[in-house]
Amino acid sequence: MKTEDTDNVCEEQVFSTIFNANSKTVFNYIYYKFGNEEKAYDAVQEAFVKLWENCGKVSPAKAKSFVYTVANNLYLNVIKAEKVRLKYADHRLKATNESPEFLMEESEFKQKLDRALNGLPENQRTTFLLNRIDGKKYAEIAEMEGVSIKAIEKRMHLALKSLREQIDGI
Amino acid sequence: MQENYLAKWLNDELTESELSEFKKTDEYASYVRILRASDQLEAPGFDAEKALMALKNRRTLNETKVVRLHPFKKFLSVAAAVAVVMLGAYFYSNTLDENIVTGFAENKEIVLPDSSEVILNAGSQLTFNEHSWEDNRNVRLDGEAFFKVAKGERFTVATDAGTITVLGTQFNITQRQGIFQVVCFEGLVGVTYQGKETQLPAGNIFKVIDGKIIPTGAPTGSEPSWLHKESSFKSVPLKYVLAEFERQHNLEVETQNINGDQLFTGTFSNTDKELALKSICTPSQIKFKFEGTKVLFYGE
Repeated sequence: MKTEDTDNVCEEQVFSTIFNANSKTVFNYIYYKFGNEEKAYDAVQEAFVKLWENCGKVSPAKAKSFVYTVANNLYLNVIKAEKVRLKYADHRLKATNESPEFLMEESEFKQKLDRALNGLPENQRTTFLLNRIDGKKYAEIAEMEGVSIKAIEKRMHLALKSLREQIDGI
Repeated sequence: MQENYLAKWLNDELTESELSEFKKTDEYASYVRILRASDQLEAPGFDAEKALMALKNRRTLNETKVVRLHPFKKFLSVAAAVAVVMLGAYFYSNTLDENIVTGFAENKEIVLPDSSEVILNAGSQLTFNEHSWEDNRNVRLDGEAFFKVAKGERFTVATDAGTITVLGTQFNITQRQGIFQVVCFEGLVGVTYQGKETQLPAGNIFKVIDGKIIPTGAPTGSEPSWLHKESSFKSVPLKYVLAEFERQHNLEVETQNINGDQLFTGTFSNTDKELALKSICTPSQIKFKFEGTKVLFYGE
């Protein structure tokens, strides 16, 4: 992508591309952290407005980490985490051949998982969900959070470990 | 099992043996179930297209704000600061008066804001406020000065002895210790002395010596003589003549055995010291001699 370097974020086309590629993840990222959709939406707006205002100073290559930093800084020490509510993809139609007992058990398990996820420290939950829902690689999450890949692996490991401990009731 | 093996496992980074060892653990089934359930998780809906639209709308709003409001804000704060400083300076300077002082043996010509002229004789002081000049033409005089007042509103000269008001004329004011004299050369001058106003038409003199109003004849010439480097007196006590001599020649005067109240009529030069001394001493029948920087007048 030779053009990437010469391109300017101030250009409408470049800006829209960056927005479409990253806005959803910025939204999810803030949502996983604080469990507030409105705040997450605002963070997206705020981050990209800042990017536009500084489009002359931020290269397209740096734009991604720029918006994550802005979004993250926006609520630094400002809001308290609320309950993160996540929906489950609706598989019921496909899974009608399952027994009612199984479905019951399954829904109980999901409730437990929900509780366990909310019980996780914010950084572990964010890392876990970015990986599982958004399919982000550890390296990407590390870049977003501004920490090492090793630290992300540690968070991931601890997240999974405590989720299991919570659910299995240890 | 290596560090953070759960994270490695998710990333398929476990070795064969590690994986089979992990699979044998009791927790393995739970982990698999957690992953299966969590992979069905969905974040709240986010409409990127709508968000981008909203952003663009906001941006166009912001553009006018950011591009115009920002520097304007800066300008505004700078302007406010400058205004405060200027206002302060203005009010401060308003309260400050112009003050012109002449030393001994020094004359100064001053042009007032309305182009009225003032010639300040030696050892005098003139004060006026330039900023309030348009509202009231007020000057304060201590000493002697000749005024050529431009036509206009009431022009007031305040002195310790009395107040002189005119509308546009030429006149001379002498306010020295013991002497208060106004000579009107042109127009009409109002002199307020001890609460009483006297109208002084051109060619008249209002003279007060030691608190007594003394009727005096018409002035000679159209300007006071000191403008031509001469000091003229008409029936003025000698002590005031000597005081004037002291001012004009910047010489300290001492007297001995002299009646300072004897009246003197005459003129002395403000430039030629010797001539001036003779002009004073000969008609007064006194003598003088220099004592260093002083001059001693003495009687027989």
